[in-house]
Amino acid sequence: MDALLHGFITATARLGLDYRFLLDDYERVPFVQGLGVSIEIILSTMTASAIAGLVLLLALRGRNRLVAGLARGFIEVTRNTPTLVQLYCAFLVLNMLITQWLRARGIDNPFKPFFWVVLVLSLHKAAFHAEALRAGFDALPSQTLEGAASLGFSRATRFWRIELPLALRAALPALVNNMVELVKASAVASAIAVGDVTYQSIMIWTQRDNVLALMLLILAFFGVLTWMVTLAGRWLERRYRIPGYGY
Amino acid sequence: MTLTNLRRLLTVAVLGASFTAHADTTLDKIDSRHEITVGVMIGGSPFGSLDPATQQPRGFNVDLANELGKRLGAKVQLVSVLPSTRVQFLQQGKVDILIANMEYNAQRGEILDHVATPYYRVGGTAITLKTSGIARWADLRGKPVCISQGSSYIRPIVERYGAIPRAFPGSSQSLLALRGGSCVAAVHDAAPLLYPLLQSDPEWRDYRTLQPEIEPAPSVIWMRQGERDTAAKLDTFVRELHRNGWFIATEAKNGLNPPSPALAEWHRQLPAEN
Amino acid sequence: MATDSAAAAGKFAVTRLPPGVYGVLGVLVTGALLWSLAPEAGSRGETLARFVEWSPALAHGFAMNVLISIGAIFIGTVIGLLAGALAMSASFPGRLARLWIIAFRNAPWLVLIYFTTYVFPFEIHAFGITVPFPDWLKVTLGLALPASANIAEVFRGAVASIPSAQWEAAASLAFSRWQILGKIVVPQCVRRMLPPWMNVYAIITMGTALSSLVGIHDLLDTAQIASSTVARSSFTVLTYVATLVIFFAYCYPISWLTRSFEKRLRTA
Repeated sequence: MDALLHGFITATARLGLDYRFLLDDYERVPFVQGLGVSIEIILSTMTASAIAGLVLLLALRGRNRLVAGLARGFIEVTRNTPTLVQLYCAFLVLNMLITQWLRARGIDNPFKPFFWVVLVLSLHKAAFHAEALRAGFDALPSQTLEGAASLGFSRATRFWRIELPLALRAALPALVNNMVELVKASAVASAIAVGDVTYQSIMIWTQRDNVLALMLLILAFFGVLTWMVTLAGRWLERRYRIPGYGY
Repeated sequence: MTLTNLRRLLTVAVLGASFTAHADTTLDKIDSRHEITVGVMIGGSPFGSLDPATQQPRGFNVDLANELGKRLGAKVQLVSVLPSTRVQFLQQGKVDILIANMEYNAQRGEILDHVATPYYRVGGTAITLKTSGIARWADLRGKPVCISQGSSYIRPIVERYGAIPRAFPGSSQSLLALRGGSCVAAVHDAAPLLYPLLQSDPEWRDYRTLQPEIEPAPSVIWMRQGERDTAAKLDTFVRELHRNGWFIATEAKNGLNPPSPALAEWHRQLPAEN
Repeated sequence: MATDSAAAAGKFAVTRLPPGVYGVLGVLVTGALLWSLAPEAGSRGETLARFVEWSPALAHGFAMNVLISIGAIFIGTVIGLLAGALAMSASFPGRLARLWIIAFRNAPWLVLIYFTTYVFPFEIHAFGITVPFPDWLKVTLGLALPASANIAEVFRGAVASIPSAQWEAAASLAFSRWQILGKIVVPQCVRRMLPPWMNVYAIITMGTALSSLVGIHDLLDTAQIASSTVARSSFTVLTYVATLVIFFAYCYPISWLTRSFEKRLRTA
């Protein structure tokens, strides 16, 4: 293992890439941990955004106009402002105010940067999921909906048993695309010192000046992740294909 | 994977192309083109900030850059740098010299050259709530500490005191994160950044700083390795500016309080030489 | 959905406000709430005065964001259309184009921006002249790369939405593959590509906020410098919320326009 590592470092050094940080415990250990943190962020955000997206969709399609209007307004704000700015506003401003408010009452602020990253990214992606699902609902053939209504299903049953599964299948490509975007967006967590792989790389390259070497590692890492998500998406599409639609 | 290999090949080719950018040494550039690009840190402190009315940079670092340019007879182009970008910009050749509150330490000395005479002395200190229970540096063991990405204080606080660093792109985010409770203390430059906060800003009245300062290290002007001639030339100018009190006057003009005893020391000591 | 059907009719009911206005109201209300909670040292009027003092700098910063976004979408469109067209053929350039698209659709934008900022040279020596390569141009290129990949996909989607019957009919009339593309398919595609293209532009504009992390004096960076210089909580809150509002004020009309184009295309 060690010999392999040294061999790798010498080989890449010839290309001008400095991977000596892999030998230094002080730098290698946080980097490897950063890979884990990135994966944690991505998995948590995928789950949270899926749930939040569904909730948003229910709010949008609900009969309460105020709730629908608020949901619509929320989607517009989060889709039309940069994630980084949302993250700063949430973590630097909102978190600071919460801490000061809680401190005055002698309570510790329980919200960690990890929580804020997952919250902001999930809500951001939830807006996109809700839009994709809405497009999926719009694509439902009206004959199917009328048929379900004529069979006497209640509104709730119709939604959960017939409309949602069909809409999910129609929206699947867009949803998978959103998930790929989510994987890429997780790199923004480095701006609030969450300890993901991009953050650890910045910590290493500001001391060692081996930007290119680390860039290649990060690109490979994210490339593998997005490839896996795309594969999973294609498998899901194949499995849940509706015969007679698409090809 | 072929994709990764292809990407690697492409990026190495680009890297190769980028090396051709290191054509001139700095002194040649000053002599032939009469211009010099100076990297200055614009972070919002008296050392470097933006003038809201004109959106131009101003501050101690900016004044020093302009003064050196005047003495070199070269037009000064200012490029703002952050602790997280300054070394890369210098190495790339994007800036010729760095006036970026970058202290001398042995690790940096290995990859870069510097002007022998420092222009300021800065130590780091930690700012923390009075009620946080942190009274000595050793109390930081195992606790999260907010800091700037690329700061020279990261290694000392980790290796000497066992603190856990949380590095932000700039000091303003780091201090906001401190107020948000993400860390128990923030470690930054004492005199340029933290002391003025405590003195003039009533919002920070519940905070205090730790003594003694860590790494009181001289701030020097940095340049790429091998540019000794430029360093020597700038050195003569820096010594003269110490001698004729220019630094002390500029410090006062930019509102740096309290006046640094190091500057007074150099002002007194240097006249003895040629 | 009630709001959608009203919009689909091509006009807005006078009593119902566009959804984005709810959003702006929400942000303003939240901002006002936050500000009233922010512990203030010194009068609020003073904070407002300082904010007015800094607003030209903030506007200057946002102009940088707009500049980068326009540059990125322009370069990205040119490359993207080329790559999209090439990617449809089975030749070697076609394979390269497909590789390009996959590579830049799967790379995080932040990493691409770090990449172009640090790896590209800061000036180019060609034919004896030295051309400076300013850092905002590097960020523009860094954003143009994923933009081109997205636009190539938009192009592919638009071409795929043309019924295959048209391809077959044209082929039976002895049109070559490239002739079909050029004379029949692409002219129809231009209209269809407009809404998703505008969508890509909006996303790119939001991506320009990342340039603050490499030291470009854009809106976010100026907001950070301003809040460190003034160093008051209430000013910080005001500045960051203002940043949010400014981006929203620019991007929301674009997405609103995009949607109205989409509706018009669907009913057309």
